[in-house]
Amino acid sequence: MAIWFFIFAELLAFGIFFVAYAFARAHNVVLFNESQQHLNITSGAINTLVLITSSYFMVRAVAAIKQNLSRECARWIAAAIGFGGIFLVIKLFEFHAKFADGITLSTNTFYMFYLSLTIFHFMHVILGMVILMAVMLKARSGGYSAENHTGVETGASYWHMVDLLWIILFPLVYVIH
Amino acid sequence: MDKPHFIRPCTYIWLALMLLTVTTYSIGEAGLGGLTVMLIVIGTAAIKVQLMANYFMGLRRTRWLWRGIVLGWLLLVTGLITIAYLSTIK
Repeated sequence: MAIWFFIFAELLAFGIFFVAYAFARAHNVVLFNESQQHLNITSGAINTLVLITSSYFMVRAVAAIKQNLSRECARWIAAAIGFGGIFLVIKLFEFHAKFADGITLSTNTFYMFYLSLTIFHFMHVILGMVILMAVMLKARSGGYSAENHTGVETGASYWHMVDLLWIILFPLVYVIH
Repeated sequence: MDKPHFIRPCTYIWLALMLLTVTTYSIGEAGLGGLTVMLIVIGTAAIKVQLMANYFMGLRRTRWLWRGIVLGWLLLVTGLITIAYLSTIK
């Protein structure tokens, strides 16, 4: 129950950020469209596929623990964490390319939003991976069962939320112009 | 023990989400823009969020209140994004 209040608070925070981006763009359409062309849409799309697949792995982890398969549950969570790691690596390459081009938060309004939004989301992916790591270790040691697996469902819900936010962020920042 | 009944629909949802992502990517790669494209892209994102919330997060099996909050958030955010976009069209 508590996780839902946390998730709704996160949705609200990101929602305000998304809407602020959209209205800032409305006042700087040319600048936003021109700057957006320099983003790597392929890495953004691959990262979307990676996060969606990672979320699916968490669905399988929940299904496994509902069958009392602790080891299998831990393996699915490990796969989800692994894909979270792939997301971070791809994002780091993207950030590195931007920083190498001398782009910072103060370059222009578009990049201020692009970097703030994606770094804010990046931190949430890291937090999600830490949560999943704790859940995986407990699952591996037999700490969950078919009757008692709230922790697995809570970790999965948080991870799905992180994915859900990226599903809006990707088209908004990388595609729409 | 039988596999939970939600695995098969979730596998189909995963495939649908992948296909919808490829669609959005293709539109972006082609450099397409304009109001119609924007509505398709933001509509696709909204559908993806609903699929993920209802099937992966399991909201379709919970009380309407939780589904309603997520749906309300989605409609509000995508609606305001669309209004902001419309305000740029002369």
